[in-house]
Amino acid sequence: MAEINLNLINGLAAMVLLAAFILVATGRLRTMVRVFAWQSLALGLLAAAVAYSTGYWHIYVVAALTIVLKALIIPRIIDQIMDRIQVANDVEPSVRTPSSLLIAGGMAILAYYVAEPLIQSGETITAGALALSLAVVLIGLFIMISRKKAITQVIGLLVMENGLFMAALSLSYGMPLIVELGVFFDIMVAVLIMGVFVFRINRTFETLDTSFLRRLKD
Amino acid sequence: MIALGAIATTAALVTARKERLCIQLSFGISAVAAIMGLLTSISVFLEGDLTFEFIAFPFLGPFVIAIDPLAALFLASISIVGLAAAIYSLGYVPQFIGKYSIVKFCALFPIFLISMAMVVASSNVLLFLIFWELMSLSSYLLVAYEHKEEGAASAAWLYFVMAHLGTACIAACLLYLSYASGSLDFHQIALYAGQGMTELARSSAFLLALVGFGAKAGIVPLHVWLPQAHPTAPSNVSALMSGVMVKLAVYMLIRTAFQFLHVDILWWGLLTLFIGSLTALIGVLYAIAEKDVKRALAFSTVENVGVILIALGAAMVFYAQDMLQLAALALVACLLHVLFHSLFKSLLFLAAGSVVHATGTKDMERMGGLAKRMRYTSLLFFVGALSISAIPPFNGFVSEWLIFQSLLLSYTIQDVTVNLLMAIALGMLALTGALAAACFVRIFGSVFLARPRSEVAKQAKEANRGMLLAMSILAVLCLLTGVLSAQIIPFVDQASADIVGVSIGSQITDGWVLEVNGGEVSSVSPILLAALLGLMIPFAFLLVRSLGGRTTRAKGDTWDCGTPLSPRNEYTPTGHSQPILRIFNPLYRSKSSFTFDPSSSPYSKQKMGYSSSIPKLFEAYLYEPVARAILGVAKRASVIQAGSVQRYLAYIFAALVILLLVFR
Amino acid sequence: MADYLLALVQTAVLLALAPLLTGIIRKLKAWMQSRRGPPIFQPYLDLAKLMRKGSVVSQDASWLTSLTPYVCLASMVVAALLVPAFVTESFGFLGDLIVLVYLFAMARFFMALAALDAGSTFGGMGSSREMLVSSLIEPAILLSFFTVALLTGTTSLVSVTSLLATSGASLIGPALLLAFAAFFIAILAENARIPIDNPSTHLELTMIHEAMLLEYSGKDLALMEYSSMVKLTLFITIAWSAFLPWGVATQVTAPDLALGVIIFLVKLLALALVIAIIESSMAKLRLFRLPNLLTGAFILAFLAVMSYFVL
Repeated sequence: MAEINLNLINGLAAMVLLAAFILVATGRLRTMVRVFAWQSLALGLLAAAVAYSTGYWHIYVVAALTIVLKALIIPRIIDQIMDRIQVANDVEPSVRTPSSLLIAGGMAILAYYVAEPLIQSGETITAGALALSLAVVLIGLFIMISRKKAITQVIGLLVMENGLFMAALSLSYGMPLIVELGVFFDIMVAVLIMGVFVFRINRTFETLDTSFLRRLKD
Repeated sequence: MIALGAIATTAALVTARKERLCIQLSFGISAVAAIMGLLTSISVFLEGDLTFEFIAFPFLGPFVIAIDPLAALFLASISIVGLAAAIYSLGYVPQFIGKYSIVKFCALFPIFLISMAMVVASSNVLLFLIFWELMSLSSYLLVAYEHKEEGAASAAWLYFVMAHLGTACIAACLLYLSYASGSLDFHQIALYAGQGMTELARSSAFLLALVGFGAKAGIVPLHVWLPQAHPTAPSNVSALMSGVMVKLAVYMLIRTAFQFLHVDILWWGLLTLFIGSLTALIGVLYAIAEKDVKRALAFSTVENVGVILIALGAAMVFYAQDMLQLAALALVACLLHVLFHSLFKSLLFLAAGSVVHATGTKDMERMGGLAKRMRYTSLLFFVGALSISAIPPFNGFVSEWLIFQSLLLSYTIQDVTVNLLMAIALGMLALTGALAAACFVRIFGSVFLARPRSEVAKQAKEANRGMLLAMSILAVLCLLTGVLSAQIIPFVDQASADIVGVSIGSQITDGWVLEVNGGEVSSVSPILLAALLGLMIPFAFLLVRSLGGRTTRAKGDTWDCGTPLSPRNEYTPTGHSQPILRIFNPLYRSKSSFTFDPSSSPYSKQKMGYSSSIPKLFEAYLYEPVARAILGVAKRASVIQAGSVQRYLAYIFAALVILLLVFR
Repeated sequence: MADYLLALVQTAVLLALAPLLTGIIRKLKAWMQSRRGPPIFQPYLDLAKLMRKGSVVSQDASWLTSLTPYVCLASMVVAALLVPAFVTESFGFLGDLIVLVYLFAMARFFMALAALDAGSTFGGMGSSREMLVSSLIEPAILLSFFTVALLTGTTSLVSVTSLLATSGASLIGPALLLAFAAFFIAILAENARIPIDNPSTHLELTMIHEAMLLEYSGKDLALMEYSSMVKLTLFITIAWSAFLPWGVATQVTAPDLALGVIIFLVKLLALALVIAIIESSMAKLRLFRLPNLLTGAFILAFLAVMSYFVL
């Protein structure tokens, strides 16, 4: 039983990382949003599995929050924003797909290399997922750097948060409930504010290409 | 063997006038010398080390020639390739009569051959350095032989500079090791060098060795001279250089790293692994981009040196982790690839030489259709291409298989970095193997298949008997060494056992089967594969003849959609590799430009031009800045040379004053 | 001795089923496109028809063109000897997974050269594209085999199959599944399936594999087509045997064998169905979009290796 659980947890963690890679590889905005939703779902199930095997009830709460907020509500909000400003479905990458996939692979190696000593000292059952979560954080940051549209930056930030949550899960069974709730609330507010900003950016520049924001400098 | 070489040289010098006799004597005797070398190496394998001491200097210690199994292995490859090159020269060199000095060629060739043999046979640092230098000098002169060709002189000069830079590093490393162990003799160094040297000292010695020998072997970024020098030399010399000389650098690197320095620091092996992967990838990428057939082969040599270093790096990593069995496996794979590569690369160079000789051009875009005009050469080149692309059951396949196996077994190491680096090396090896196959499809297809692209290709005639005989020897060996590899490995294992201390010959071979770890891990039987494939083909032929009855077999035009096909319809070598060049463009940084002829209408143009070039990145970003810096420093320093006697006297006076003060 | 006899029978079954598998895939594709489609035994009839026809060889072609069909067939038959399908017996001592990769490479080498031999532009195009695709997918194939080697400690396909099949569910994990996914993309790439290549296209500018066969006719064409069918069958069989071999007969007893055969046929059908679905629902990728997919396959395989070490 425990072994199946461990395999399940590892499998879900691998799926979260795989989703991050798919986010890097895809060229369409709608696909990115949907993959992000699936990633959050996998993360929520991961948290639930951890909660099941350790018996800490507060992780259940966090898992439910993850699924409801990040897999259902936030993707819905982003979809609505995209509908309203009628943005083209194309992700505008500044690094092409094969190179970005290889860079993401390099990040995974880096994360593994860095996290290895920590894995040895961890006592939780999800220690192996720490390297994967660090990789997800790095890949989220990479998504923010290498894609030009504002919406992709939002998604990149959300992916980073997913990674951080998974890291917290794997090291210490999540942060105290208050902190988790606070983080979720901040995420909601951040998404709403970004929605407003994206709308204004689009109105001002007629495009979501954030490289145009450089014009503000003049 | 030396005596024979000396005879060959003097015979060449003596018969200066009668050129044909000169050629026959010198190369004939070289061939015999090569056979003697081969016999010597076989006797070492069968009976044990051969040591021969001569000339004992008071300080410098006795000059010893010792041939242990490792040296014998390299001696064998020198001899085989030397024999083939010598026989080939009998047919190839006469073309130079009247154009260049035959005497030089005939005199230098035996010197080159003998100096290479002595390099592996030396067991004393000074003796080694003397023959190493002799080898570099004679090859430099041979590279510059066709000095009327454009670019030959500069290629030779670059080779000269790089070879001496390498020699400087090597000399520094070896002399330091002798200083640390108090003796110039290899055996003594092996025993005493390890003690008393700090880790920093040993690592720097290793790095010096890597840089120095790497410059000779052609690792990235020290490889730039190789694609310029190897093609410029006459083809039999190219074969020797690519097939053997770069391996001698690997030979001494193995000896230095394992015997002298006792590899026990992990990052040495990882560095070698990394450099090997990089070299392999860059070598094959540039090979695919080349139009000149000999330059493409030279880049392919760079790629194979990378593969050899990957295997060597793996061996060093295993040795450093005290996994001697695995280290022996990786080292056997490395040495096997060294031996096999010398066979098929020299075959390829000799065959390319015949083609260049027959068509008068090195440009692949002007060749084509030679398979019908030079039947035997095309067949022999094909054997070489099959071997280098690691197609079963030829020898390249066996060595690549062994290298893969040794990398696959790396998971037993518990280190993070090692595991991931091995996985990456595995991926790179797979990528370069597939790209190498693509490269040789391109080369063979452009040179030999389809229709001739130019007049010279149409007029090409088959190579003469001497050249064909030499190439056939090598081709047959390629097939035999692949098929009978289970029999050859015990000899290679003797060489590696000396170095690593463990013999795995019995574990790897079992009768006709090559296996790893006693057959539980994996096994391959090259001879049975060859037998099956060889039987299957005629069997299929007969089967097909019987099924469906006799059918006609007509000759017709290639399907041409109605317009008659000309050579311009064929895919050019550039076009064939164009998708790969485009995909890897971030690494190539190619520049392309469109030009339009101005014409009255903006909608239709009369003439358009497209040119695309791949800049020489290493030369532009690495070599030229360094060269400029050195020249800049030299210019500043040349201020010292004021030319007037008083100035120089003043310098001497100042130096004298300073010395007096310091040593008060 | 009986083991080898069984292995021979297994090989014969694989060789016999190859055209049927192609026929089934075509039929499934037709159904998904609301057509009736050709009968599933049509490929056999096609091959028989080709065997009876005379062939026209280009006058520009050399000895290579005549040799290639036989070499391709020989390499596929030898490869079939090495692959366990429904029982864990084969001539495994002849070669392991890496030898299989190189046997396929041999067939591809000869085919690509033969395509250049006739001197037609389409052949050159097919040859250069084929070498591109194969170069990019090889690292993925070898890394996925590496994953399997890590999990089972061996690269001999027979040992891999029996070790995985007898280990129950303990070895299933992200590593194995990711490696299977990477290898599945390799099946599509190496066998000229959509989205890498369209096996039923008639437009030469969109061909990769078909372009290399353009100049062949009669018996030669029959041999080349048959080799491609065998290659597809072998790839699907390797995908199941190397990664998810449960159901294979590990002991030579009648019920085990019967079960093994049935499950093997079901597995063939399952992957045939998946391939048919993919071919009917996706469009072929443009040539220079292929590196996206193939690098993705490489990353999948690399993640598989990483999952083994991390998790």
